[in-house]
Amino acid sequence: MAGYILKRLLSAVPVLIGISVIVFLIMAMIPGDPATAILGSFATPENVAALNEDLGLDKPLVQRYFIWLGNMLQGDFGRSFALNRPVLDEVTERFNATLVLAGSAFVLCTVFGIAAGVISAANQYGLADKAITFFVLLGISIPSFFLGMMMILVFAVNLRWFPVSGMWPIFGDRTIWVLLDHLAMPATALAVVATGVVARLSRSAMLEVLRQDFIRTARAKGVHERRVIWGHALRAAMVAIIPVLGLQAGFVLSGAVYIEMVFQWPGVGRMLVDAILRRDLLLVQGGVVFVAACYVMFNIMVDVAQSLLDPRIKT
Amino acid sequence: MSAFLRLLSRNRLALGGLIVLVIVVILALLTPVLPLKPPNVTDTPNRFLPPFSEGAILGTDHLGRDLLSRLMWGTRLSLAVGFAAAVIAATIGAAIGIIAGYYGGRTDNVIMRGVDMLMAFPYILLALAIVAALGPGLMNALIAVAAVNIPFFARNIRGVTVGIANKEFVDAAKLAGMSDAKIIVTEVLPNVIPVIVIAMSTTVGWMILETAGLSFLGLGSQPPRADLGSMLGEARSALITNPHTSIVPGLMILVIVMAINLLGDGVRDALDPRLKSGALSRPMPATMVSRTGPIPQPEGCDLLAVRDLKTQFHVKDRVYKAVGGVDLSLKPGECVGLIGESGSGKSVTALSIMGLVASPPGVITGGAVHYRGEDLVGASYEVLRSLRGRHVAYIFQDPQATLHPLYTVGDQLIEAVSSHRRIGRDEGRAHAIDLLKQVRIPNAESRIDSYPHELSGGMRQRVGIAMALANDPEIIIADEPTTALDVTVQAQILTLLDDLRRDRGLAILFITHDFGVVAQLCDRVAVMYAGRIVEKGPTDAILNAPAHPYTSKLMACVPELGEGRRRLEAIPGLPPGVDQLPQGCAFADRCHRVTEACRERAIPLEPHGAERSVRCIHPVEAPRTEAAQ
Repeated sequence: MAGYILKRLLSAVPVLIGISVIVFLIMAMIPGDPATAILGSFATPENVAALNEDLGLDKPLVQRYFIWLGNMLQGDFGRSFALNRPVLDEVTERFNATLVLAGSAFVLCTVFGIAAGVISAANQYGLADKAITFFVLLGISIPSFFLGMMMILVFAVNLRWFPVSGMWPIFGDRTIWVLLDHLAMPATALAVVATGVVARLSRSAMLEVLRQDFIRTARAKGVHERRVIWGHALRAAMVAIIPVLGLQAGFVLSGAVYIEMVFQWPGVGRMLVDAILRRDLLLVQGGVVFVAACYVMFNIMVDVAQSLLDPRIKT
Repeated sequence: MSAFLRLLSRNRLALGGLIVLVIVVILALLTPVLPLKPPNVTDTPNRFLPPFSEGAILGTDHLGRDLLSRLMWGTRLSLAVGFAAAVIAATIGAAIGIIAGYYGGRTDNVIMRGVDMLMAFPYILLALAIVAALGPGLMNALIAVAAVNIPFFARNIRGVTVGIANKEFVDAAKLAGMSDAKIIVTEVLPNVIPVIVIAMSTTVGWMILETAGLSFLGLGSQPPRADLGSMLGEARSALITNPHTSIVPGLMILVIVMAINLLGDGVRDALDPRLKSGALSRPMPATMVSRTGPIPQPEGCDLLAVRDLKTQFHVKDRVYKAVGGVDLSLKPGECVGLIGESGSGKSVTALSIMGLVASPPGVITGGAVHYRGEDLVGASYEVLRSLRGRHVAYIFQDPQATLHPLYTVGDQLIEAVSSHRRIGRDEGRAHAIDLLKQVRIPNAESRIDSYPHELSGGMRQRVGIAMALANDPEIIIADEPTTALDVTVQAQILTLLDDLRRDRGLAILFITHDFGVVAQLCDRVAVMYAGRIVEKGPTDAILNAPAHPYTSKLMACVPELGEGRRRLEAIPGLPPGVDQLPQGCAFADRCHRVTEACRERAIPLEPHGAERSVRCIHPVEAPRTEAAQ
């Protein structure tokens, strides 16, 4: 097992390099002088020249990439000009908030998506199946930012069940209950689309599995139907469901940007949008690389989970 | 194409989606000529007019602009950008995919590595990075959304192209001297287009959502021009005071995307051949029962008695009478063979006993199965479940597919017991090891933790038998348990079953198509043809003197009974389809003794000497004359 994890970690190295190259190339596409772009049009020529030297922008592209990569490996992601603080500090601080939001949404979409898919498949063409299919369709069609706004309108403004926005109250203690109170709506809004996707896939994976001979064997043994569905069938269906969970993790991680805007959540997505609008390019660059790298690591965990579940995978 | 449209039109939801989408698209196209107010003219005194106000049916926004007009123009823009992104992504993605798939080798390797890299990003993040570099703006948002979707198309199309590039017609075109470019355009592309259509229909909704999302964030369309996303973004600050300005564009996005998703599902179902046949339905926990006619009452003291059992498969408007009135009985300690060609209904008979016929499409339409006088066909699921495995156990044909691939054999054995009575961990494990020893699996203590894929076929079948024995059942129904195994393993398994029967006094119903197996194992035998029993009686009597012409033909290939191990030899002609059985004898068309009378009416199963019966009006009289020819 340890060998398998090590192997997967090593195979992530070229992917991480690829990600850094792609981000670097995208940023290199910026038309005109990068230093001017970073500093804005009011920068003095001295400032521009200083920054150019600072960033090594006067050097050739390939050399610049390796300098940038080397700095990043030492934990130096550069400095945000707008915020006047190291990019890495800002990104990790914001990423924690995103992780809380996306992590909860991921748990929600996994639990409810799989449950809905299994119930749907076990009652194929029944009332529960039709109802779930309808809500799934609605869920994957509604823009999460619109859903979030409607939730604010209904549950925060009219019903006053939850706070309108933010992660913490301005005054008061920062307890887990306060956090959950603030988290409930944004996490739900973020999870809806992913739940729909997971439910759809779980339903078809379950239908596929339920037709297999080993299900008939389980029934012939006299295994309770509940256990046939939630044990035998779901276990086998998970092999197809887990890779999709990996994709959905990426979706909630990046889709969090809309929810963070709607609910004023201090996450990395909102930081990126603000940074883009302010042309704070080093912050964008660092933030994108950091989040993408975390996602790659998460996918390795997914692969490991898959190999734990399926003994047929050679580890 | 017309078949495709027909399938699509049969799907009412997809049709609804199509109609809504067509209406929205037509309205969007007509927007410039409709009598609407100019969308960008501000009128601050009349800001935030509620819907149904005079002169502004949907109200006005924070600058007093007419919402209906802005909605129409915004829809037009959102649709245009979404479709454009889809077309761009599909075109570039398909081109990349076709090149990678068609040329293969290094080209393929390099391209797909790049695609994998792009797919390693959470894709909205990649879109943000691209917009960051290009700067906010609708055109840049379009490019970003198209770009992040290219890998998806490239990967899908490559997969299909690889399959096509190795087909004969492509080789033929190459030999004919056609250039690669021409082959791609004339041979590959037409076969790839359906896949492109499916991929587009499933992603265009996403692309509309994503571009709207970027606009919502302020990174897409810039004021004063607005698409649906930026309308929503601008309305956000007035969400609480004037929610209608948010609800109007939000609902429009929802309607468009939902219509596209419904249509996309319909397109996918219509183009995906696997779904076309309606094959994806799951079997229920017990076979459906819908009995017409009188229900036979229990009689005699048989352990298991099948009376006039009728099982059908209802597929669309056709009815397949797989089992058309079968009578069978089983006494304690007895082994009865049920023999017949593939499709004769013997397996369906066996599965009907415990309600294990896949349903839908299977339905038990008549008769009864009496276990100790209790009718199982009408029994509730809970009664059936408590009998399954405990009193009546099954051994199935293919041990590769019938064991759960992700549970250890030990867990599967213990579960057979724990489904019926509480059993502790250690006791369960000891019991499982004991069972494995009984079926003569070496190293049972270590094998118990193996997964099925780690065992050989013969070993897996032994596990299957051990599982059937787990609760010490009275009856075992063995559905061709040796067919998937090689000959020496077959012999071992048969010997094992025979020993177990003698040791434990098991009653066995043995389904097979092999007379050699019947001779070795069975006390009595029933021969099935086209869903009915055509002859039954003591094994020796039937083997020595088959009465039904079908039985004698079946045996014609077994020269020394009990020694030769031959499969059934094909009899000229085919059995009739069970959805169109003839009125008279089903074997008439293949029978050399056929007369007019055979075809006129149904032939009853009549007694034929002591303990035997045969469904034939011209039974073979002299023993073994047919076989001697």
